[in-house]
Amino acid sequence: MIGIFGAGVVGARVAESLSIESQTSILVYDSSQIVAQRLARRLSETNSLIKATNRSELHRAKVVVLAGPSPHTPVAKEFLGKGVSIVSTSDDIADCLNLLSLSELATENKATLIIGAASSPGMSGLLVRNLSKAFDSIDEVHIALHGTGGPACARQHHRALSGQSIGWHDGEWLRRPAGSGRELCWFPEPVGAYDCYRGELPDPLLIKRAFPELVRVTARVSATRRDRVFARLPMLIPPRAEGGMGGLRVEVRGTKNGERVVDVVGVAERVGQVAGVVSGCVARSISVSEISQPGAFVLGESSLPNEALLSRVMASGVQAHSFVRA
Amino acid sequence: MKLLRRALLALSVASAVAGVLRFKGKGVGAIKQGGWRKFTDKK
Repeated sequence: MIGIFGAGVVGARVAESLSIESQTSILVYDSSQIVAQRLARRLSETNSLIKATNRSELHRAKVVVLAGPSPHTPVAKEFLGKGVSIVSTSDDIADCLNLLSLSELATENKATLIIGAASSPGMSGLLVRNLSKAFDSIDEVHIALHGTGGPACARQHHRALSGQSIGWHDGEWLRRPAGSGRELCWFPEPVGAYDCYRGELPDPLLIKRAFPELVRVTARVSATRRDRVFARLPMLIPPRAEGGMGGLRVEVRGTKNGERVVDVVGVAERVGQVAGVVSGCVARSISVSEISQPGAFVLGESSLPNEALLSRVMASGVQAHSFVRA
Repeated sequence: MKLLRRALLALSVASAVAGVLRFKGKGVGAIKQGGWRKFTDKK
């Protein structure tokens, strides 16, 4: 049994992805019962095993996808304490750090906790692991993200531009003001080129955990001048129901046959869609005991079946493109 | 007065140059070297 906590944009995509392929029961919970019921009714035509439920009934699930706004730590603590595995889509740096500290609780209760199973972090880790196979060794990873999922994701994007970014640089964590460090990043069409800036993103932290050998890790997020100017103020205009076409760009640098090599892979898709498919695939892997080891993990870690997960994500319709030089 | 006139002149020249660069500049076009291909699993 798989539970979904939150029936917003990401929650709906998780439910859609699971309802197409999963043969197990799917329980949907949202703080607004009507939203959860509406989602379950819409998807019940393709999968009769999906239903809206209350919070206490989610404790019966084997794995729960946390698809609501952050913080996820209090909810994860509640479920892990009852031996329910958790897949978190949180992209808040403090929340991810707090989730990592729940590793012991997960191990004690023989549950699995997957942190940052979304687009970035999440898909980025899977792509880095896949790209690393073409290298003898990798030492640099640079991530760029364009676009947002639902309104909670847009608020998080707004906050990310006003805090402090962290990046791993030659053996130490570097803190720089978010919104600085402009870099023009190319995403696959139809997204194209966007100016990206440092942001308070958890990617460097989680990627470094999955790939301890890395020397430099950075993460950037696209932003307009208006985004940067108003980042330190509360959001004046309410975010849209869902962001448009988004993009993810993963650049890996390393050595192959003694030569310096750079590989770039990009994804052009709605951010909520990528997050939903990635977390849905991870939840399904836990549900069928493909991932069964207790403790906290991040995508891309060598102990996880990253290849199988990436293949499943691609089979679910998320297209990745590699940059080929002329 | 002379200083103010010079400052205004410098400002207007700077604005004109900035305007020309902004509207006549090449800007970001399509990628001229290489491109995106469908990603294949690295074995």
